[in-house]
Amino acid sequence: MNNLLTQGLTLTWRGLVPMRNSPGQIIGLLMQPLIMILVFVYLFGGANNDGDRAGVVLYALPGVLAQVTLMGTGRTGMMLHTDLTNGVFDRVRGLPISRTAPLLGRVLADTVALAISAVAALGMGYVVGFRVATGPAQALLALLVLLGFAMCVGCVSAWVGLIAKNPAGIQVLITAVMLPLAMGSNAYMNPEYAPGWMRGWLEINPVSHLVSVIRGLLIGGDYATGLGGHLLATAIWGAVIAAVAAPLAVTAYKRRI
Amino acid sequence: MFSTSDHYAIEAHGLVKRFGDKTALDGAGLTARTGTVLGVLGPNGAGKTTAVRILATLLRPDAGTARVDGHDVTTDGHKVRELIGLTGQYASVDEDLTGEQNLVLVGRLLGLTRAETRRRARDLLDRFGITEAAGRRAKGYSGGMRRRLDLAVSLIGRPRFLFLDEPTTGLDPHARNDLWTVIREHVADGVTVLLTTQYLDEADQLADTIAVIDHGRVVASGTPDELKAAVGGQRLEVRPLDPGRLTDAVAVLRDLTGAEPEENGGLLSVGVHDPHLPPAALRRLDDAGILVGELALRRPSLDDVFLSITGHTAHAEGALA
Repeated sequence: MNNLLTQGLTLTWRGLVPMRNSPGQIIGLLMQPLIMILVFVYLFGGANNDGDRAGVVLYALPGVLAQVTLMGTGRTGMMLHTDLTNGVFDRVRGLPISRTAPLLGRVLADTVALAISAVAALGMGYVVGFRVATGPAQALLALLVLLGFAMCVGCVSAWVGLIAKNPAGIQVLITAVMLPLAMGSNAYMNPEYAPGWMRGWLEINPVSHLVSVIRGLLIGGDYATGLGGHLLATAIWGAVIAAVAAPLAVTAYKRRI
Repeated sequence: MFSTSDHYAIEAHGLVKRFGDKTALDGAGLTARTGTVLGVLGPNGAGKTTAVRILATLLRPDAGTARVDGHDVTTDGHKVRELIGLTGQYASVDEDLTGEQNLVLVGRLLGLTRAETRRRARDLLDRFGITEAAGRRAKGYSGGMRRRLDLAVSLIGRPRFLFLDEPTTGLDPHARNDLWTVIREHVADGVTVLLTTQYLDEADQLADTIAVIDHGRVVASGTPDELKAAVGGQRLEVRPLDPGRLTDAVAVLRDLTGAEPEENGGLLSVGVHDPHLPPAALRRLDDAGILVGELALRRPSLDDVFLSITGHTAHAEGALA
C-alpha cells in the first residue's frame, strides 16, 4: 500500500512535469473558464435577465466551476490513451510496480490540473463581480467536493480512454456523456422554468446536486437550503460512479497487457 | 564455457501467440545461460518482438511456458519485472519529459533513493553522451539519441537481464558500434542479454548462441560457428564469364559436390566440405570450356545460413511487410 502511494505520487509528478516543461499547457487550463464565463455570463446571461449581470454572475459562476472541472476530466482519458499508443506504458508496465499506480498517478495529476482551472475560474469570477459570501472554510470545502466528484468522473474518463480504439472516439464519447450531464443541469438555469419531463432529469442529475452544493457553500443564504441533502446526493453519486468505473478502468488497463 | 547445469537463465518452450487469425508464434522455444547473449535472428514479422514481449511479461502466451531466472513470466510476472530491463523496438521514452526526468522517473519507480537516482542518472547520461541534452525535452531528440536514452533508462535499475528488441535498427554505423560496446560491457558484468535483430552481422558480433526464427518457429539454433558449419565448411562462389553457360556451370558444380548450387544474379554459390573440391571444380569448369569471371572461397556468412535454412533472405519479407 505504501509502495502504491509512492509509485502513484511519482507518476503524478510525471503527469505534472510537462506543465513546467512547457508552460503553454497552463494557458490551456486558464482559457476554458475564461471562455465559459464570457459565454454564460455575458453572451447568454444578459439576454435572459434583462441585463442583470450581477444576478447572472451569482447564479452562473458555480455552474461554470462545475462544468469547467467536469469537462476537464476528459483529459485523463486522452492522456492515458496517448501513453498506451506511444510506448510509454510498455516501459511502465515492464517495471515491478503496482498495476494501479499508473492510473492513480494519472487521476491525481489531472486533479491538480483541474484544481488550477477551478481556482482560475474563481479568480475570474471575482473580477466579474462574484464574491464568496460565506467564508474561506466553506469555499475550500466547495472546491474539495468539486475535485472529489471530478476524480470519480475521472475514472470514467480513464476507462473510456483505455478501451477506445482512437483518440477521436474518446472525444466523442466524453462529449456525449458530459454534455447532457453538465448542460442538462441547474448549472445555468433555474429548473422551475423547464417543462415537467425535463425537470425530472434536472432534479436527479448528479451535476445539479453538485452545483447546488457549490452554490450553497459559496453563496449561502437561500441557496444553502437543502445543502445537506445535495451534499449526500453528490457523495452517493460520486461513490457509485467511482465504484463502477474504477474497477472497469483497472480491468481495461490489465487487459491491455 | 557451458556448464552442465540444467538451469537456464532464460528458458521458453512451445510458445504460441495468435493475434486474431494471424499466428505470431507457433511453438517457439528459446534458452540462454547466465551471462551470455542470445541472439534471436529473423526477418520482420517472424515473431521476434512477440517473443520478447512475452518474456518481458508484456504479453501472455496462448500456449507454452517461459521462465526468466526460474520465474514463470505468467504466474510470477512481478518477480520477472524486478530482474529485467527492456528496450523496445520503438524507443519508449516520454517525449514531454527531459532526458534526465525520464531517467529519474524510472529510477524512482524502481525504488532507488533520490540521491542514488540522481547519481545513476548522471552516470548514464554521461556514458551515453546525452549530458548536454539532459535538460531538454526528449521530443526534440534525434532517433539515435532517443535510442540511447531508452537504453539508459532500461539500465538505471542495474537489471540482471537485458532484453533488447532490435536495438540498432535505424542507427548509423557509429552509433551501432557504440551500442555494441555497451552491450559487451554489461555482458562482462554478468548480465544475460536477449537481443533480437534482423542484422546477421550483429548476431555474429554479439551473440554466444543464435536462434533463427521464421514464421513463429525456431528453425535453427546454435553458436554462430555451429550454424555456419551446418551450411557447409566453406562457400565456393563461381561466376561464369558468359551468362549463357550458367546452366552448364550449375551441372558441373552439382555433379562435383552433390549439392544444388544457389544462383543469385549470375553468381553461383555452393557449400564445400572437402578441401580437394575447389581445385577440382576449377579443373572441371576448364575442361568444359567455361571461362570463370569471378571465383571466391569463403566462410559462410549468417546470410548464407539464413538462406539455406529458410529458403529466403532475412530482408525479403521485410520489404513486403
